[in-house]
Amino acid sequence: MRWLRFVIGLLIALTLHSLLDSFFPNALAFFNPYVILVVYYSMGGNILGAIIAGVIAGLVQDAFSGAIFGLHAFSLTVCAYAVAYVNSRLVLRGTLAFGACLGGAVVVNELVIYILINVLLKQKIEMFEQGLIVKTIFTLLFGMLVYQLLLLFLREEPIDATQRPTGW
Amino acid sequence: MAAPADVIPRRPTLLFVVVLALLFVLMSLSTRTRYIGETRTMFERTVMMIFSPVPKLVNWVGGAASDMYHGYLDMRRSVAENNELHRKVADLATENLKLRQSETDLRRLRSLLGYSEEFAMQTSMAEAIMLDTSSRFKSIILDRGSNAGVDVNDAVVNANGLIGRVVLTTKDMSKVQLVIDSNSSVGALVERTRRQGVIRGDGGTGAQLYDVPSLADVQAGDTVLTAGIDGIYPKGIPIGTVTKAEKGQELFKLIRIKPAVDFSTVEEVIIIHTRKIPNAIVRYAP
Repeated sequence: MRWLRFVIGLLIALTLHSLLDSFFPNALAFFNPYVILVVYYSMGGNILGAIIAGVIAGLVQDAFSGAIFGLHAFSLTVCAYAVAYVNSRLVLRGTLAFGACLGGAVVVNELVIYILINVLLKQKIEMFEQGLIVKTIFTLLFGMLVYQLLLLFLREEPIDATQRPTGW
Repeated sequence: MAAPADVIPRRPTLLFVVVLALLFVLMSLSTRTRYIGETRTMFERTVMMIFSPVPKLVNWVGGAASDMYHGYLDMRRSVAENNELHRKVADLATENLKLRQSETDLRRLRSLLGYSEEFAMQTSMAEAIMLDTSSRFKSIILDRGSNAGVDVNDAVVNANGLIGRVVLTTKDMSKVQLVIDSNSSVGALVERTRRQGVIRGDGGTGAQLYDVPSLADVQAGDTVLTAGIDGIYPKGIPIGTVTKAEKGQELFKLIRIKPAVDFSTVEEVIIIHTRKIPNAIVRYAP
């Protein structure tokens, strides 16, 4: 069930990505739907699943953006692992906890991308700090809205984490 | 034997490290292929191929929505333009009507002006403001009177021919007795044979030519002009056309005349200020 939700979420994120690319070409500089999806999935606390989710979501984002293939997969995998790791030890639930994880994930994601671009391409990202702040705020707002909507329509806790991973 | 609890979390971490390493290799390959001119690795193409229906669908839906929206806007613009064009057409039709009316007026006035120049006598223009041809006494009222020099017995014509004579004037209006009035008498001659006679109205829409002998040569179709012998009408103004010429009861022919002027359409007229015969001469006239 969680994988089905993830696939649907991935298709929605890709749809959003395509729509924004078509009508507001710079919109993805301020907002990242894939991070929301990965954080939502990773908050279940399943590290293995989170890593796979991060890789898949990142590769899809890479495939349909102009970035180096694997860049976003790398950064989202780091985010997914971090969030899942925290959630495997602490039971973080509710909109605020989700917001905190999401905000942290966006910052980590952007920092990883910044470092990788510096390492691989020896390039500097212009106005990185401003972009990071704006992206964090907008992604956070949108992500918390999505979380609230899921809470409203699913009529249950969106994050299913009743089973902690005991091994794989 | 179960693994110790603190060992288990290391395995996902190991996987995490391996995955990151693989992704780093993938990125390096991707970077390298960019340098040698290839823009996509096979792996990247595969991912794109799997998920490509989504952007295509979005693009198709977006394009359709955009087309519908622009179609709607175009339709609204077309409706507005259509309304505007309808209004312009109505305006132009009205303007065209006015211009046609002006052209007709101009043509009529020009012919009238040219006609008035034929007379050696002084003339003036006037407009018919009332027209009474329904009763036995046929008359029209003109918008010029004695202030404009109009006098009793002035001849009134238009471009088609004789209308009548002024029988009454006020300062700014005058009354004209039409040639078809039964009390009207006009000295006339047949253009073709120069045979003279007197035209009187028949009380209807026509007139009759009297005092033409039975043996005189007058035929239907002959044009009848003023003879200029009555001291009122100048010579040579068309009065009408003979429609019927037959033997009368006594010595004279019965000749019916169709007036040259359609009195129901009279608008502008020329008043010919004819030279009046002095009373001293009139007194001794036969």
